[in-house]
Amino acid sequence: MAVGRVTESSIHSAVLNNLQRTIQKGQQIQEQLSSGKQINRPSDSPTGTVTSMELRGDKRVAQQYARNADDGMGWLNTLDSTLSSASTLVNRARDLTVQGMSGGTNDAQSRAALATEIDGIKDSLIGYANTQYLGRPVFGGTTTGEVAYDPTGAYTGDAGQTTRTVGQNSKVRVDVNGPEAFGTGDSQMFAVLQGISDSLRSGDSDALGEGLKKLDSSSDIMKNAHSDVGARYNRVEQMQLSAQDRLLSVTSQLSDVEDIDLPKTIMDMQLQQTSYQAALAAAAKVIQPSLIDYLR
Amino acid sequence: MASSFGSINTALTSLYAQRRALDVAGQNIANVNTEGYTRQRVNMQSQVGSISAAMYATSDGIGTGVGIADVSRLRDEYQENRGRTEHGNSAYLTAQSAAYSAIENSFAEPNDTALQAQLGQMWDSWSDVANNPKDGAARSALIEQSSTVADQLNDLHGSLAGQWSNDRAQMASYVSDVNTTASTVAQLNDSIVKAKATGLTVNELEDRRDVAVMHLSELTGATASPRPSGAVDVFVGNSAIVSEFTARSLQVTGAKRLEEQSGDPVALRWSDTQQTVSAGGTMGSMIDTMTTVIPGVSASLDGVAKKLVDSVNALHQGGYSADGTTGQDFFSGDSAGTIKVAVTDPDKVAYASTTATLDHSVADQMADLGSSNTGPDSQYQAMIGQLGVSAAASTRRNDIQTSVTEQADADRQSTSGVNLDEEMVNLLTYQRGYEAASRVLTTVDSMLDQLINRTGLVGR
Repeated sequence: MAVGRVTESSIHSAVLNNLQRTIQKGQQIQEQLSSGKQINRPSDSPTGTVTSMELRGDKRVAQQYARNADDGMGWLNTLDSTLSSASTLVNRARDLTVQGMSGGTNDAQSRAALATEIDGIKDSLIGYANTQYLGRPVFGGTTTGEVAYDPTGAYTGDAGQTTRTVGQNSKVRVDVNGPEAFGTGDSQMFAVLQGISDSLRSGDSDALGEGLKKLDSSSDIMKNAHSDVGARYNRVEQMQLSAQDRLLSVTSQLSDVEDIDLPKTIMDMQLQQTSYQAALAAAAKVIQPSLIDYLR
Repeated sequence: MASSFGSINTALTSLYAQRRALDVAGQNIANVNTEGYTRQRVNMQSQVGSISAAMYATSDGIGTGVGIADVSRLRDEYQENRGRTEHGNSAYLTAQSAAYSAIENSFAEPNDTALQAQLGQMWDSWSDVANNPKDGAARSALIEQSSTVADQLNDLHGSLAGQWSNDRAQMASYVSDVNTTASTVAQLNDSIVKAKATGLTVNELEDRRDVAVMHLSELTGATASPRPSGAVDVFVGNSAIVSEFTARSLQVTGAKRLEEQSGDPVALRWSDTQQTVSAGGTMGSMIDTMTTVIPGVSASLDGVAKKLVDSVNALHQGGYSADGTTGQDFFSGDSAGTIKVAVTDPDKVAYASTTATLDHSVADQMADLGSSNTGPDSQYQAMIGQLGVSAAASTRRNDIQTSVTEQADADRQSTSGVNLDEEMVNLLTYQRGYEAASRVLTTVDSMLDQLINRTGLVGR
């Protein structure tokens, strides 16, 4: 400072300005310590703010993907267990059909008993086909109705698909519609079972053989659908894991951008306090003496 | 040869002069903490006897004592001018950074409760609707969350408009402050010029005038230039607000609310000519804040709101709701101040691309808007980034200007401030001078005593 002459008030204002600066710095550090954040307003770091806002957006999206995946896994789990139970029933129906074809049970009464059991299986399968998840029939496509199949076994759903967004541009289908799981036309499961039941009652063994073939082919359709569900379940699970990983990494990045380095900030605080006290002590020494003290 | 009593007069002039000097030192000490006080110094001048040659001139060429030439104010006009400029700049930048900081505080980003977070929760609500379109509760939650976003946009606009109105009201009171101060300066000019013409010293009045001019500089960025007569002219922009003994007045015209700003911009004008004033200082900053900064931020915010309305409505119109309605707007309004959720019935929220199904592709596309590069979120982030850059720049400039101003003040203080040590030394000096002059008087007195009472008494 190239100031030739020093006056009381210039010392005064210089000391005050310096103290003010130190205490302002202190207030900044105090704000960082109490909020735990380096960035408390956009001007603290404009780029940091934008990064932080983007990362917060990413974090939210990753959380949402994980939630979507949870929901998708709920659908796929329901499909998986329903199709498992359904295959057991279909196997039983096949056994009964084979039994009906073999010579030992040729009398009308036992065939009728078999036919009745097949009818029961058909009704149970229709029940399975109307399984609901959160109030929606999982085989019904995007139908707004309560059921995917009416009691006669006719499909009442539609071909719409239900997907879950489990990643950036990654939508996984989480439903299987009725025709995909239970076949259509000639190989429609319920029609096939009805045919077998009718054949058993009428004793038409040719038709029964034909029915067995159809049953096998619609059972294959169901198995395919089942394995497809398993594959999709794996994919959703994989995507959920990656969303959770992403969440972890985004959270730590966000912390890097936003959060204070606690030891460093505390050290800064200490330094600031020390320099403030030193400035106060120096001010007290500089301002006090004057020639007045020494003149008598 | 001078008169026998001439020496008494010489000593007397010294007594007067030292007394006057002591008075001035006392005045300096008394005003050591007075804002705007300029230290004064007595300029003494030895008095000369008659120097014009004449036949019967009796001057012996020795002076006839001391006189006070003047009591001067120790003030450097250059430093004062610089001080005014720096104070004007400093006031401008301080007001700018205060305005930015108020805007930043109303946005309160980055934070878990600020607009960005609310937008995020709204997109999440769309995802929930996509996951379970049949669930009316998810759609009700979506409407609530969207209303929160709309309310927050309304509030942000409201706080910008509030800040604008506060500035506008503040401006009116500053204008009357400036007008009063300008007429004070003109009156002081009058008093000072008249006093000077009669040879009076009016240092204290000049100090008061300088304080008033500095106040004008801080408010309007005014500059000053002295006249030989002792008056000071004050200029705002390129026009004089005080010209010798007459002051002009300012007035603020234009919009009363932020919404009217674009049609009828607020302006600072001369009352007489209605020309706009190019002011600096606090008022210049407030004019800039009201005409540029706040409208700019408000327009960006309106852009974000419009983007939100347009992109959501475009998808919503193409979708079908639970009760089969289509072609409806989800949001109404087209700016941050007017945005509202138009859908009140959860059954009218469109989520499907085909009617009467639980298809959820429209809701999915909505949820995707949140992470889109061209969506309202990224537009909002860019806007906050821009605000941050401007605010940081203004804070930095203010910090720099503050130290420049402190430096200029230190320079001014070094010239015009009172130093107590110096005044103590002056006190001593003049006291000793006074004592010495008394001694001269005593000496002359005893000399005369010798002459009058003891001369011619030989042998008595």
